[in-house]
Amino acid sequence: MNAPIMPHPVAGTEFRLEAHQDDIPTGQTLLKVDNVSLSFGGVKAIREVSFDIRKGEIRAIIGPNGAGKTSMLNVINGFYTPQQGTITYRGVPRRAMRSTQAARQGISRTFQNIALFKGMSTLDNIMTGRITLQKRNLFWQALWHGPAQAEEIEHRLAVEHIIDFLEIAHIRKTPVGRLPYGLQKRVELGRALAAEPALLLLDEPMAGMNLEEKEDMSRFILDVNNQFGTTIALIEHDMGVVMDISDRIVVLDYGRKIGDGKPAEIAADQAVIDAYLGVPHHD
Amino acid sequence: MLYREAGDFKGSYAADIQTFPIKGERYLFWAFVAFCFLVVPFLITPYWEKSIIVPFLIWSIVALGLNILTGYCGQVSLGTGGFMAVGAFACYKLMIAFPDLNIVAVIVLSGFITAGVGLLFGLPSLRIKGFYLAVATLAAQFFLVWLFNKVGWFYNYSASGQINAPTRYILGVAVTGANAPPWATYLLCLSFVFVFAWVARNLTRGRLGRSWMAMRDMDIAAQIMGVSPLGSKLSAFAISSFYVGMGGAMFFSVYLGAVEVTEAFNIDKSFDALFMIIIGGLGSILGSFLGAAFIVVFPVVLKNIMVGGLGWSTDLAAHIEIMTIGALIIFFLIVEPHGLAQLWRLTKEKLRLWPFPY
Amino acid sequence: MSVAMLNLTEVVLNGLMAGIMYALVALGFVLIFKASGIFNFAQGVMALFAALTLVGLQTGQVPFAHLINAIFGTNIHHFGWTLPAFLAVILTLCVMVAFAWAFEALVLKHLVNQEPIILFMATIGLAYFLEGFGDLLWGADIKAINLGIPSGGSFWWEDVTREWAPEGSDYWGMYIDKLDVVATVVAIVLVTSLTLFAQYTRMGRALRAVADDHQAALSVGISLRTIWVVVWSIAGFVALVAGVMWGAKSGVQFSLSLIALKALPVLILGGFTSIPGAIVGGLIIGVGEKVAEFYIGPLVGGAIENWFAYVVALVFLLFRPQGLFGERIIERV
Repeated sequence: MNAPIMPHPVAGTEFRLEAHQDDIPTGQTLLKVDNVSLSFGGVKAIREVSFDIRKGEIRAIIGPNGAGKTSMLNVINGFYTPQQGTITYRGVPRRAMRSTQAARQGISRTFQNIALFKGMSTLDNIMTGRITLQKRNLFWQALWHGPAQAEEIEHRLAVEHIIDFLEIAHIRKTPVGRLPYGLQKRVELGRALAAEPALLLLDEPMAGMNLEEKEDMSRFILDVNNQFGTTIALIEHDMGVVMDISDRIVVLDYGRKIGDGKPAEIAADQAVIDAYLGVPHHD
Repeated sequence: MLYREAGDFKGSYAADIQTFPIKGERYLFWAFVAFCFLVVPFLITPYWEKSIIVPFLIWSIVALGLNILTGYCGQVSLGTGGFMAVGAFACYKLMIAFPDLNIVAVIVLSGFITAGVGLLFGLPSLRIKGFYLAVATLAAQFFLVWLFNKVGWFYNYSASGQINAPTRYILGVAVTGANAPPWATYLLCLSFVFVFAWVARNLTRGRLGRSWMAMRDMDIAAQIMGVSPLGSKLSAFAISSFYVGMGGAMFFSVYLGAVEVTEAFNIDKSFDALFMIIIGGLGSILGSFLGAAFIVVFPVVLKNIMVGGLGWSTDLAAHIEIMTIGALIIFFLIVEPHGLAQLWRLTKEKLRLWPFPY
Repeated sequence: MSVAMLNLTEVVLNGLMAGIMYALVALGFVLIFKASGIFNFAQGVMALFAALTLVGLQTGQVPFAHLINAIFGTNIHHFGWTLPAFLAVILTLCVMVAFAWAFEALVLKHLVNQEPIILFMATIGLAYFLEGFGDLLWGADIKAINLGIPSGGSFWWEDVTREWAPEGSDYWGMYIDKLDVVATVVAIVLVTSLTLFAQYTRMGRALRAVADDHQAALSVGISLRTIWVVVWSIAGFVALVAGVMWGAKSGVQFSLSLIALKALPVLILGGFTSIPGAIVGGLIIGVGEKVAEFYIGPLVGGAIENWFAYVVALVFLLFRPQGLFGERIIERV
């Protein structure tokens, strides 16, 4: 009830993102996309794509604009239902799934064009990330004082850790609509983290940022991966960043998979160079 | 008393999230509540009760309800009048069927019945959005009023189609019917407003409130964060209708005493409620009160000036009144689209820094 | 044809023509929504206001007579002249253009970039204002409109259809109001000319550009404010036509403004942005309503036309949320 305001904790020392624990060992397949195809009317966004995401890794999805990357994330978290293929998450195969269910099973994400709740403060936005973890029913919420407040404070503590971790304590109570772009991206990451995801999907986390902001964001992504062991799948256009931070890369082009492997292999892959990278890295 | 937060340190999260974080404001609020409960009952006159204070209190509850749905959850509803009618007729049927049931229980039960009806009419919100939904809620307005007008069972087949509230007592004091003393109806309404404004505040500051606001601000992102559209939209519809239904029940039993549905709960009531929350402030508890006060008090003032002061005929006054209200609404929207509550917030911001500009 | 069949035909025909009348009102909504994204709730009151103004000008009423009498204790009401119909129509059009201009300058200009709900509320405010203003200007009594439009049942059509019934049956022929036929013709002319205007004139192209994308239209030098004045003027013109037709049918009075409520189900059925949608939606609602009133109405105590249209539109929307002519909605993040 009367949890004291914490003195600044060292990021990550006592705090764990553990709400969606499973017994899959690190390095084993967490999510598998198998032969997935998705089309809108006549437009084929994804054609027979298969790949896997292993627990604990940072997996990048790259490709030119319109290659189907965002559609792929939408399929993974159940927002789109593919016409064909299965997605196996934690050993359970499925094709159709509601995005709310995916969220409850620990898949969380950020968006290409910021999708924050504009009328709410930073704090409330991040608290919204914990909505699947809060359980008090209508009755207790209507009373507030008592269990509902206690639960609220318990989650507030977790959120304060995330706020501290992302270094956004100074904008805690600012409405997000007033924040600059880079900070909004960071708040969005915070909201996704607050759900304590087992799988974190990041859709162009560094789009439109300057160098300094990109460095910060890369650091946060690596920290999340290192300290909390969160599995991350990200879409990004900045090849420098992708090559540096990701463990393995999938390349999509016109909805097809044209490459899959470690950064060094991808950088040397002629098909990928032709379709996307353009100039080979060695010259 | 100066309005300051300096020196008012928060030692716990509980203190950080309270409704009035600033000490002075908190004392003022409780002083005001004490004044309303302990002093006003001795001052209130029948005129003030009937034409201003009781309608204001009842409309506040309605506005709170609509604000939950429209202001917090972002679903525009034009069916408020219809839902008020559900509350009124539920109240009437309950009062007749269970003469011994306490009126407080009757009003709350009417709220629950209306919540059920609201849930039903909220179902389309899962498929359609925005103005399409707003128009769909008009279906509720027209259908419900038609139902209560056409089906005799609802008004016990009375020849006039009117329903009349029998006298009911709380602790031996009449609170409905013609003989209810002003202070009793006032205290009843005030207690309802106080309790349910507090509940509204609680609901909107926790998980449920955030799920509503998330739906309002960015529904797709909310879904992907795990907010169920079914749960959050339907709960907003149900809870909002609960408030509106209680408002309708009190409007009938405590305030009017006799009601003819096509007159008392027509579409103008829906608009009035919408005006209240827009002028007061969408997504603001305080705004619901300010808006209700404005829409209730303004016509009374205008009418007193024109009919009482200038001696004009009532129909001429009515034309000017409706014209002025229309113009004022537009004026308010231009000056402050976020409503009176936002003006109040800005004033407080200024006060905190006063006398320095920054 | 059997009598039952003939009855059904009559109901459907009347429904189609009532549908045209609904479509006339819905058209005004669609025009404004397309060009400015505003759900103009005042469209019905604009129709009332236009009709009131037309009658007032034609019969030479003194504006604000009631108010003037109240303040100065005088007793004036008419100037004592009668204007020819076409002159009155032209003058009314001028009033509607002036209204469009004033509304843009006094209200819309200040509400650019506000949320749709704020603009919507502003139009409800406008509806209240215009209603009070119209009554104040011309008085609230019921007025007859006299533009020489034929009305009443067509005897010729009654005679023709009586022949269709089987020999010896007690059938008196179909009732079709001449006014409805005129309204249908007027509506067809109106829609055709609006379409031509939008397709083949410079202003029409600008209109379509604005409807597609405000920002892009601004960036190629289209003045949004001019467009708005034009669109609201056209909507005022459509309102006048609707007001005259409805006014000729049931008198110019307050209930005229409620036809807006009739047009709303048409809108959600046809979509807020589609002119063909408004027309087809209007026809569906018109026919559905008349058929339901004829066959279901007596069973449940009548007067179901107030809400039946809404229910039809709602059920339809549940199965096809994009409306009649809308493209399938693909949600993106």
